[in-house]
Amino acid sequence: MKFMEYQAREVFEEYGIPVKKAVVIDSLENIDEQIKGLTFPLVVKAQVQIGGRGKAGGVQFAEDSDSLKAICAKMLHSVLKGHKVNKIMIVEKAEGISEMYLSIILDRLSKRPMIIFSSQGGVDIEETAVTNPEAIIKVPIYPEVGVQKYTVHYLINKSGIDKGLLEPLYDIISKLYKVFLAIDALIVEINPLLVCAENEIIALDGKVDVDDSALYRQPKVLEYRDSIQEEALVLEARKYKFLYIPVEEGGDVAVISNGSGMLMSCIDHITKAGMTVGAVLDLGGGATSDKIKEAVRIMLSNTDIKYLFINIFGGITRCNEVAEGVKIAMELQPKGKCVIVRLEGTNKEMGIEIIKSINYDVVSVDGLVEGVEELYKRRQQ
Amino acid sequence: MSVLIDKNTRLIVQGITGREGTFHAEQMLQYGTQVVAGVTTGKGGQTVLGVPVFDTVKEAIEATNANASILFVPAKHTAAGVYEALDAGLELVITIAEHVPVKDMMGIYHFSKSKNCRVIGPNSFGIISPGKAKAGFMSHKIFSEGNVGVMSRSATNCYETISMMTNNGIGQSTCIGVGGDMIPGSTFLDLLPLFEQDEQTKMIVMIGEIGGNEEELAAEYIKENITKPVIALIAGKNAPKGKSMGHAGAIVSADGTGSAENKEKMLAAAGVHIAENTAGIVEIVKKLL
Repeated sequence: MKFMEYQAREVFEEYGIPVKKAVVIDSLENIDEQIKGLTFPLVVKAQVQIGGRGKAGGVQFAEDSDSLKAICAKMLHSVLKGHKVNKIMIVEKAEGISEMYLSIILDRLSKRPMIIFSSQGGVDIEETAVTNPEAIIKVPIYPEVGVQKYTVHYLINKSGIDKGLLEPLYDIISKLYKVFLAIDALIVEINPLLVCAENEIIALDGKVDVDDSALYRQPKVLEYRDSIQEEALVLEARKYKFLYIPVEEGGDVAVISNGSGMLMSCIDHITKAGMTVGAVLDLGGGATSDKIKEAVRIMLSNTDIKYLFINIFGGITRCNEVAEGVKIAMELQPKGKCVIVRLEGTNKEMGIEIIKSINYDVVSVDGLVEGVEELYKRRQQ
Repeated sequence: MSVLIDKNTRLIVQGITGREGTFHAEQMLQYGTQVVAGVTTGKGGQTVLGVPVFDTVKEAIEATNANASILFVPAKHTAAGVYEALDAGLELVITIAEHVPVKDMMGIYHFSKSKNCRVIGPNSFGIISPGKAKAGFMSHKIFSEGNVGVMSRSATNCYETISMMTNNGIGQSTCIGVGGDMIPGSTFLDLLPLFEQDEQTKMIVMIGEIGGNEEELAAEYIKENITKPVIALIAGKNAPKGKSMGHAGAIVSADGTGSAENKEKMLAAAGVHIAENTAGIVEIVKKLL
């Protein structure tokens, strides 16, 4: 689960990582009251999860109360790259000397946390990673050892920054590692990490991604999830513990399956046949007819979707349950969308009988490749 | 032969008194697996399906001489269960639950290495050596005994491949569900040497997918150490790219690591046969046999 910027800032502040003073607003009322503790100039930042937010007008500067109100009035509830701005963060502007980059991620290679550091932070860090990989330093953290000062000495010498930064950098890395562990993060990132006068460093912008599998033990993080914008169908699917994944805008084919591997294979097959997948839904294991009914309903309620391929290789999931669910869903659905069902595994024959008893819009196929061929044929008609 | 499990495996089922545990213990027994003990804390002294239940793994081992364990317990209890099994000295622990926190797996991975033990999973269908034994929840009807070793990150892609193999008269030595998580207990790299050493295995099928770098590491190893033919599939070429978040992901994969293109390129350079899709795997295996 990916945090909004203000949520990342809030967590950083809670763990003592230096940040600039800020407030978050979701209405234009009493702005003067809300920003009472802040000192101009201020930065107004739209809380949306998009790349290139600055260029899209989502970051603006206010010198005084009037300009602040004008900016907020224009920004709040506006739409940036398809994302509605429901919240705005107003933060004190920082004066810095240089921008660094710092993150701690879960490194899949070493299967340990890893520090990534660069003295050349800022918006171009990804480009730097390609053009000048030397400028990016990566060091593992051994959980039984933790963050030690020798690591920070190494980062400082290797990147050639001022040795006076040792203490503040050590402090920030230690605290960031605490955050990483405490909230079951996969990524905690500070970029830019601003170097100010007198070796003060400040986290100006942060990104946090928390392991979805650990949310059950992160009640506070779960509260954050409510403010993160997601497609209505993603939220609807989550109610039934399905994973709904939008794939390509405008795609008219959808896939429902019982496993992410199979979904990926379906997308690969369908794309290779020249068709475009709009969305997919992962049932997980062991779905019952009641749940299947909801999955079909959710998928067909997407107006872009004209063709639905249900591909089940049942182990724990039983084919007759799937077929029953499809049957009930189709009786409740407006007619006209084409559904292709492939069943394999536990109770396959029972399932196919049920599918064949549905009189409209539903075709049964034997095999993944056959299913994709049928899709192709139907779309040509 | 075969790898990891066979007729001599003496298996513990942790969570045997639960709904899934009982159901699959019965399936495994029917398949011929020696399920010698169950473990559910607080239910020691009971029997399930004629199998004695113990409070702890250590007691189960002492009483039955078990040498492997499979966990049918929820994700949030997985770490405790795996640690218990490893601490009790088992050399093979299989865990199937989905959604085990990555941080828990980070600890398990390094602890199992330090104990020189092997963990398979999580998010895995388990292991089956067709005709001999199974430790997992796979629908065993689709498997058949033979000479192809299979390991897969995805259960459904593996089932798809296996059923096509069996329909084409191609049997398997052992199939291992590596699991789809960020940190699997055992990676392709950990398992390749087992298939290389196994006399029954004549070729190796590796079903991978985008993300991570297990396939890249496997490629380097195969080049130097594997003499048997290897066939690989990388699923997810057209999967939606994770909406970019922060720069850390991009920095780590700045050299292309993780993409299907990079994985296929490295595997091909190591002499691995690349399949376009699951049907393609079977075509290649047929040609090589």
